[in-house]
Amino acid sequence: MKGAAGTSTGPGRADGAPHPIRRGLGALWSLRWVAVALGIVGWFVYFPILNNFVVSTTRHDIFTGEVAQIGLDNYRRLIADPVIATALWNNTAYALLSILFQVFGAFWLAAIVEGLRSDRWRSIWRAVYFIPSAISTTVTGLLFYFIYQPGIGILDGLLTELGLEHLSRVWLGESSTAIYAIIAMSQWQGFGYSTLLFSVAIQKIPQELYDAARMDGAGSLRQVWSITMPMTREMTGMMIIVTVTGAFQVFNEVMVMTAGGPNNSSQVLGTWLFEQGFNQNDMGYAAAIGSLIFGVTMLCGVAQLWYTRHRRVLA
Amino acid sequence: MKRSLLTAILAVTTTLGAGGAIAQTLIADPAALVTHEGTLKVMTKFGMQRLAPYFADLAKAYEAAHPGVTIELIQEDDDSIKSKSKTLVAANAMPDIFFSWTGTWGGNFVRGARAVDLTPVIGPGTEWGKALSPAAVDAFVYDGKNYGIPLYLDAKFMGFSKPAFEKAGIEVPTDLDALLVACDQLRAAGYTPIAIGNKEPWVGVHYIGQLLAYNVPRNVLEADFEPATATYDDPGYVAALEQFGQIADRCTVGKAMNGISYQTAIQELSDGKAAMYYQEIIEFDNAASATTTLKPEEFGFFRLPAPADAKGDAEALEGAPEGYMISSASENVALALDFMRFVTKPENGKILSAPPYGQPSAVVGGADAATMNPSVVGGLDDIAQASYLIQWLDTVNHPRVASAWLSGIQAYVGGDMSAEAVVASVRAAAEAAK
Repeated sequence: MKGAAGTSTGPGRADGAPHPIRRGLGALWSLRWVAVALGIVGWFVYFPILNNFVVSTTRHDIFTGEVAQIGLDNYRRLIADPVIATALWNNTAYALLSILFQVFGAFWLAAIVEGLRSDRWRSIWRAVYFIPSAISTTVTGLLFYFIYQPGIGILDGLLTELGLEHLSRVWLGESSTAIYAIIAMSQWQGFGYSTLLFSVAIQKIPQELYDAARMDGAGSLRQVWSITMPMTREMTGMMIIVTVTGAFQVFNEVMVMTAGGPNNSSQVLGTWLFEQGFNQNDMGYAAAIGSLIFGVTMLCGVAQLWYTRHRRVLA
Repeated sequence: MKRSLLTAILAVTTTLGAGGAIAQTLIADPAALVTHEGTLKVMTKFGMQRLAPYFADLAKAYEAAHPGVTIELIQEDDDSIKSKSKTLVAANAMPDIFFSWTGTWGGNFVRGARAVDLTPVIGPGTEWGKALSPAAVDAFVYDGKNYGIPLYLDAKFMGFSKPAFEKAGIEVPTDLDALLVACDQLRAAGYTPIAIGNKEPWVGVHYIGQLLAYNVPRNVLEADFEPATATYDDPGYVAALEQFGQIADRCTVGKAMNGISYQTAIQELSDGKAAMYYQEIIEFDNAASATTTLKPEEFGFFRLPAPADAKGDAEALEGAPEGYMISSASENVALALDFMRFVTKPENGKILSAPPYGQPSAVVGGADAATMNPSVVGGLDDIAQASYLIQWLDTVNHPRVASAWLSGIQAYVGGDMSAEAVVASVRAAAEAAK
């Protein structure tokens, strides 16, 4: 029996372990189950990323199809391009304000809504806050265009009614206010969705924890601070990643509202990429901007993941 | 080995990234047999609700006459067609028939061999060529060859409300100073003198285009439109910008124009709130119609008045015909040409020239004054009297130079750049585009 058992382990290994070649072949063979998925992800996700880096080292005329290798010239141009600095700042402002409103603001709003005793009111408020998220960006853009319209828009009308007409601005037409007017619209639209996600996370917290805290004399604020906040840390971390990554990929809102104007003051990396690639026929430079967006979002994602894991280990 | 593998990967990915092989130059064959079978993709600039039925109706009529043919329309508007065209070029997916402006815009398709050489079918001496306005056909000539089928003529005029002018007690201004004085009087009469929306920055650039024709000699302009010969050192550039600044200050809402859409602005004229709107002839039927407050008989137009001491050409007019090209990648060029021959029949031209479309046809005999808006008829006469047509700055220039103009004018209006700084940025863009 022993001899039979020994021969059954295959060629060359007397300790019972399979031969490395056979083990490798076995592992490769098992990959067949994920090969299709890997192929699809590789072709549609990783190949374009790699190809984007390659295209970014070229000067590419889309009309003639001519491609000239120019090394890192597009990246040198990227560093010297003043609009890139403007776009980076605009994306950063987008990210910071979105974290403030769509993560921390939405968390507190969800905590308040979920703290309501009436089921009916909880449902109503959830729906009220979620409705803006169900409206398309194009429609929202048009709506806010009318709100911001100089002289006859609702915002200017409201300021005039309040005796604050000196604060009236050409919100979408002034370099100093255009991007913030767009960010404000985006917060209005995205706030409810974040609130709903936090509501779901809060609903999963065991009620016993709140009951125990109440018995210990903790007030509502203390309960949110000591129970809700720590118990939704995973959701908060995820929301920050999604928000920051989304802020560096923002495109539709800016295209619909200002297309990057006036005078490129509301350009973000996405719209400047589009302008370079599809209006100025400079696909190579557009690809370099794409690489910058990839680098920034990758960095933010990795940093946030590391931080969340680090906190989990410490906890 | 590693190096060659890397080189191969780079070569493959670069080719894929470039979207494949360059299209071959194709010359239209006038004797080619038309097979009325298959699908034609047509990309138009008639995406606006008012204009969309024109090509839709023509497609239905053509399909009814030729049951084996299916016409697929891609209808875009002024703004969306710019990026859509380039996206389709990059993807090597140009439709069989596609819209094109003249100038550098159309030149890009020619340079890239994306458009069929139509000289044998529409060039000098051909039957089809004789059926179209010669000036419009010539506008699509590149290197002595014809590449475009002009569909309609276009030029920029100042549309105005006759009741507003009567109320303010003013006549049509004959020079720039008179226009500025008229603006003061119109404002005093309770009107916004000129409605303008520069949220889409080509609006301001159209003013500059006409003012450049007045202030800069034609030969200088044409040299500057080519990055290789551009210098942008003529003082007329700064003068034109300063004149636009005067118009913005005294006739419009000033820097607020950067936050207003051009569609909102034209609505102000239609609603009778503004006295003037600088518009293309193809917008006349949009500004005043049976359904607007301003009725067609109350609508008038004049050329943007030239400054009294203009150093350029005071008789020049900004505008250009617009038309269509045939994709060299089309598998059925003969059918595409047959469809365009159908589109440019005089009876279809008359439909295009009349309300609600109001696009003055480039077809000889394609305009019938009896069915057209009298202002459009008058505009056509005015176009014929122009010493030359200066093309749109945002399509005649290299894209980088056009971009400098577009953002520069917004900055100038907003007070972020001086006239000299705008011209310097345009000069720098031309330098970078060499």
